Amino acid sequence: MAEFSAATKQSDEVSIIYLKGFLDAHTAPQLEAEFTNLIEKNKYYIVVNFKDLIYISSAGLGVFMAYIEKVRENNGDIKLVEMSEKVFNIFDLLGFPLLYEIYKSQDEAINKYNETKKIN
Amino acid sequence: MDLLFLKSTKTIKFQAFIISAALLFIVNLFFMEDVIKEIAVFLVIGTLILYLMDLMKFKQINPVSMVMNVAILNAIVLLIILVSQHLVQFRSSNFFNVIVNFLYVLIVAGSMSYLYIIFKELYFLRQKKDMSTYFNTMVIFFLLTALSTLLPKSLDFIEQTFFIVSIIIMIFNSVKISWIAFVVKKEKIYLLILSIIIIVLMISIANSLKEIEGYSEALSKFVLLLMIYGGIYNSILFFTALFHLPTADAFDRKNQEISSLQYFSTLITQVLDFSDLTDSVTDIALKICDANAAWIILREEEGYKSIALKNIGYFDSNLLNHYLVTEKNIFDVNSIKVFTLEKFQDKGQLSEKYHTIAAAPLKVYNESKGFLIAVKKENMLFDEEDRNALNTFSDYASVAFDNSRLVKESIEKERMEKELDLARDIQMRIIPTKLPEFRNLEISSLFIPAFEVGGDYYDFFEIDENKLGFVIADVSGKGISAAFIMAELKGIFESLSKTISTPKDILITANSILKRTLNRNTFVSAAFGVLELKTGKLNIVRAGHCPILLIRDDKIKNIKPTGIGLGLTFEGNFSDNLEEKVIFLQQNDMIVLYTDGITEAKNKELEDFGQESFEAVLLNHREKEVDEISKNVIHEVTMFSQHNLQHDDITLVILKWKQKLNIDGDREWQSLVQQLNNQTK
Repeated sequence: MAEFSAATKQSDEVSIIYLKGFLDAHTAPQLEAEFTNLIEKNKYYIVVNFKDLIYISSAGLGVFMAYIEKVRENNGDIKLVEMSEKVFNIFDLLGFPLLYEIYKSQDEAINKYNETKKIN
Repeated sequence: MDLLFLKSTKTIKFQAFIISAALLFIVNLFFMEDVIKEIAVFLVIGTLILYLMDLMKFKQINPVSMVMNVAILNAIVLLIILVSQHLVQFRSSNFFNVIVNFLYVLIVAGSMSYLYIIFKELYFLRQKKDMSTYFNTMVIFFLLTALSTLLPKSLDFIEQTFFIVSIIIMIFNSVKISWIAFVVKKEKIYLLILSIIIIVLMISIANSLKEIEGYSEALSKFVLLLMIYGGIYNSILFFTALFHLPTADAFDRKNQEISSLQYFSTLITQVLDFSDLTDSVTDIALKICDANAAWIILREEEGYKSIALKNIGYFDSNLLNHYLVTEKNIFDVNSIKVFTLEKFQDKGQLSEKYHTIAAAPLKVYNESKGFLIAVKKENMLFDEEDRNALNTFSDYASVAFDNSRLVKESIEKERMEKELDLARDIQMRIIPTKLPEFRNLEISSLFIPAFEVGGDYYDFFEIDENKLGFVIADVSGKGISAAFIMAELKGIFESLSKTISTPKDILITANSILKRTLNRNTFVSAAFGVLELKTGKLNIVRAGHCPILLIRDDKIKNIKPTGIGLGLTFEGNFSDNLEEKVIFLQQNDMIVLYTDGITEAKNKELEDFGQESFEAVLLNHREKEVDEISKNVIHEVTMFSQHNLQHDDITLVILKWKQKLNIDGDREWQSLVQQLNNQTK
């Protein structure tokens, strides 16, 4: 299968995970490692950027489910941004838009975090 | 002495010795006949030899240390003889003198017996043939010579004859020193010196036998014969050792290679348990280079760790590992390296005074996976021999590690294949083997499992005469875990479809069960429908599954009611978002259920077969029998993805509605069409 990479960048308090390539059962552990790392450092404002993600399998979707509870318990969130139409369709079929906030652009998601912080 | 006595136990032999010693003492005390005294001395020596032979039977035999024993024993005997020359007065009847005499004779007899046993052991050492006849003949002549001293002076020639024959046999027997070739060079040099010392000692003893002769002629003859034998044996030993010296190095090397091979053969049998293997590797490493401690540094994805530590603690080994890795960069070297620890800064923290450290790489495919480490304490160095031995051995160990890994992999592979077989077996038992039959409904189902079981599941439930339930589901994940969830799904749907009649309630209940039992990262996409067979009314819900396709005339409609996958969210959220759709089927309407194995089938360029191609095939063949349509779809998918492995299960279920054309049904149908039309507007 083709390659996959996940890299995390920090933008103030928001952590942005950039995904690239094919996310499936074989590459899912790489993304899990990124999430585990962020949670260990108590970083719960997470944005996942899907701009360069070509494909996601059900095992890939499972990664998001594994961490969302823990993140939300700590008043954080995982927001998904810049999905291609194909990737969005996969999320959409499973009803993920009802479970996650999905935005067209990364800035929208970051702004959303900033707004909630002001309220808090 | 009869055989019974020879075979009797150690204690009995010891008792026999004590009795004969007591007898000797009494004889000494009462100053009896010479002949009786001689016999008593013989009894003492005889019983002592038998007892000592038993006592030493189980000792490890090392020829060099035995020769050493001979030298020490001779030195002691000579010392005693020299000292006692002024002390012992055999002709005195003083009680004190008698005791001293007795002890003196006992010590000499004891030493000689011991000497005799050592010579005997040395004689039989490394002999390939049974040489006992030669040795026994020699012993018999020894005895005859000694005993013939008891004969009157006129028969001296008999004694002399026996004596000469004894010496001839001695020379003959001494030539057969075969063990000398097997000792290492160092020991050969050692033997050279020892044999000279022994010869000198023995000549001295033989020259100072006057005192003993005065006491017992037989004993002195026995000592003399032993000394002569020892002298001859050691002279021959000296020359043999001397002649073997030039080839000693080559022999040592060969020997070492052979013992390395032996170690290697012990290693290759230990491939099944990695920790056993590493343990024996460090064990053997200690032996082959006489190190004080050994362990293995194993490289890991991040850093390294110590395993199989021998004679060293984790703390010490970690300190040394750190030194080797950071300051000596051993991970960059490709052959054995030896470092002194003189400049090691943390030396003070070590619990032992280690002085030198050797690191031999364990290479697999030319890449060092770790290091075999050995350390020596002060004043000990790794010489050339040690290095070579360690280097050769680390190569063997690398091969053994590699074998161990291969065996592990093949076991793992076999285990996975077994697991996959089991998963496929479970899956094939779960999906229906026989389809329900109805006059007004054609059903076709097609299932192609992927190599790794993909977790597809479909089923039909005849709820009552009038209602047919059907489900299609896809478990996230693969293999045995997916197969188990499929089995759970079948149980859930089988039981729920008997008690709950609306598909929406069935999925809501299924979700709350699965939310409890599934892992957080596992979920199931499903679609559940209930079809009323009299009316063609279809209630359908979708929980995260691919859309249900409705083919009516020449159009395909994606039926995609809202719904979240099973196991993803809690009850309230799930049921709030679960939409139930109602469809009234018309003549020749087709309902197509499928899993993403079809639309996501990939070609060589990793492009998807796609929804559009799928729909196009369905439309092209829509007039045909349902089984024909299925076959055509699968044909197209297989053609498309023929150069790529099938990654996911493929499931395709097609239902074709054949309106019952009786009058009642027709009327009912007309009214339902009306309803449907109203709904779609």
